[in-house]
Amino acid sequence: MLRRRLGRTLLYIFLISTSLMMAYPLLFAFAAGLTGTEDYYQSTWFPAPTEIHLDKWAAFLGRDDLRLWVANTIFRAGWYVVIPAVISVLCGYVFTVPRFKGRDAVFMLMLASMMVPGIVYVLPTFIMLARWPLVGGNDIYGQGGHGFINTWGALLIPGLINAFYIFLMRQSYQSIPRDYEEAARVDGANTLQIIWNVYVPLLRPALTVLVIFQFVAVWNDYLNPLVFAGGNEAIAPVALGAQRFIFSTSQNTRAGLIDYPTMFAVATLVTLPIVILFLLLQRYFVQGVAGFGLKG
Amino acid sequence: MDTYPLTRRERIAQYLARNRRAVEAWLILTPILIYYFVFAVFPVLANLSVSFLDWNGFNEPAWAGLANYERFFTNPRYQQVLLMTVFFAVAILIVNTVLGFFIALALNEQVKGLGIYRTLWYVPTLTSAAVMAQIATVFIAPRVGVTSVVLASLGLESPIWQTNIDFARLIIVVFSVWRSVGTAMLLFLAGLQSIPLDVIDAARVDGAAGWRMLRHITLPLLRPMTVFVLVTGLIAAFQVFEPVYLITNGKSGTNVMMLKIYDDAFQNGRFGMAAAMATVMLVVLLWASFLNLRLMGQTSAEQQ
Repeated sequence: MLRRRLGRTLLYIFLISTSLMMAYPLLFAFAAGLTGTEDYYQSTWFPAPTEIHLDKWAAFLGRDDLRLWVANTIFRAGWYVVIPAVISVLCGYVFTVPRFKGRDAVFMLMLASMMVPGIVYVLPTFIMLARWPLVGGNDIYGQGGHGFINTWGALLIPGLINAFYIFLMRQSYQSIPRDYEEAARVDGANTLQIIWNVYVPLLRPALTVLVIFQFVAVWNDYLNPLVFAGGNEAIAPVALGAQRFIFSTSQNTRAGLIDYPTMFAVATLVTLPIVILFLLLQRYFVQGVAGFGLKG
Repeated sequence: MDTYPLTRRERIAQYLARNRRAVEAWLILTPILIYYFVFAVFPVLANLSVSFLDWNGFNEPAWAGLANYERFFTNPRYQQVLLMTVFFAVAILIVNTVLGFFIALALNEQVKGLGIYRTLWYVPTLTSAAVMAQIATVFIAPRVGVTSVVLASLGLESPIWQTNIDFARLIIVVFSVWRSVGTAMLLFLAGLQSIPLDVIDAARVDGAAGWRMLRHITLPLLRPMTVFVLVTGLIAAFQVFEPVYLITNGKSGTNVMMLKIYDDAFQNGRFGMAAAMATVMLVVLLWASFLNLRLMGQTSAEQQ
């Protein structure tokens, strides 16, 4: 009994200490963002504000470019949620319910792209977007202009098909009995009506996983905006805008002291929405990640 | 004459009526497949073609044959990049897997407040790699950074990554582990929770506990998940970009293929080299994926 209690105590000591180490950078950023610059320079391993300074948060939240980054990101996230959702719901249906020649071959072809690392796409997609004929000053041969580069086209056109979600939807369709569809057919519904009215409500768990993972992916996407649209500040997303803002703050020594609290306030504020999303929809995050493993 | 040969239009109508489901399916699939070929299949082939070219994006592309690949495998600077990519991938993979496994094991012991620990371990994977990497530069800054302050309070001199290669590499590994170990933890936890309780109980009745339970019951049952964690972890660890780009910018012996591809493509105008490196990554990671499928197939065959 004693040994067991000792074991439990050690277990909790291990868990609490390692978990605190994991949380340390984020807790530090949270506290440092609320610390006055003087206090910050006095602190050692953890910022200890003598009074809470909300001015760094307020200053950042009041910036016009922050509103721009957030609006850009939410717009782009909406697009990368809706279009892949439509595509994967349609493909999931086509690859599960109707039987036709070549169905499984096409499904395997689409799954194959899951194995291609993202970096392989960056350069060829850049060239394609830059050389797209008749846009951005390009002639019919794709010469002379910048194509879609540094425009919204570059941030909205590539990467709309994600084979993982097609796979996920197909799994979900397979767990739904066909009786519902047959009943709807008898009532005279067509295929699109059946997908929308019969299947989509039953696909909600899978769709929720798609929405949150796509939203987090777009919110944090850095490489694509950097490469495809890094030259256009007006369409910069949160991750790129915030990173650049933190960098320029770290280089700004004109005021004498580098304004570290502002850097941490920015990092906290762009991380907070995702953390809140996780806390609200924890179940789906866990299901989504577990789904990658158990079904993959 | 009541019967007459069907007109072309009638034959088509008849065919459509008989194969309505298939026709609908292809109507849905065709636009999606066109997009898929343009943006998912064609770029892979285009990347392969560019890898055989000497091209900076502006000049007339010249055929280079295998020269880019030869350069990648023989030039000492590229060899160093390949070596560091493998080093980081293996180091991050090992730490992630071992640490993630033990945390999952601890969390599976019916601990109170499971959700809180799980949140603390998983939330870092949801943060922006770019923003947190930029913040990491503050943590490791000489004199004012936290690492310096903590080491100074222990009476130790603080390392400077620009001159200390080991420290620079350690930062990249620690940062990457911090941002990805949560996924391994969550996957192992899901695997552990899917082990049927009666299996555990039966083993306990037979006298298995502690290490013996782990060795003979838990680990074998967890094998498919372990394979999955290892392979997906390897694929992710090969593609670490933001910390290398933003913390060290590849300096101090930390350059990796992801950053070299970015630099060669968009800074140095060496499209051919960048495409060749991307092709090498494609081959390595495809091999890893096939290995995954084979090992997964094996384990499920064993269990049947």
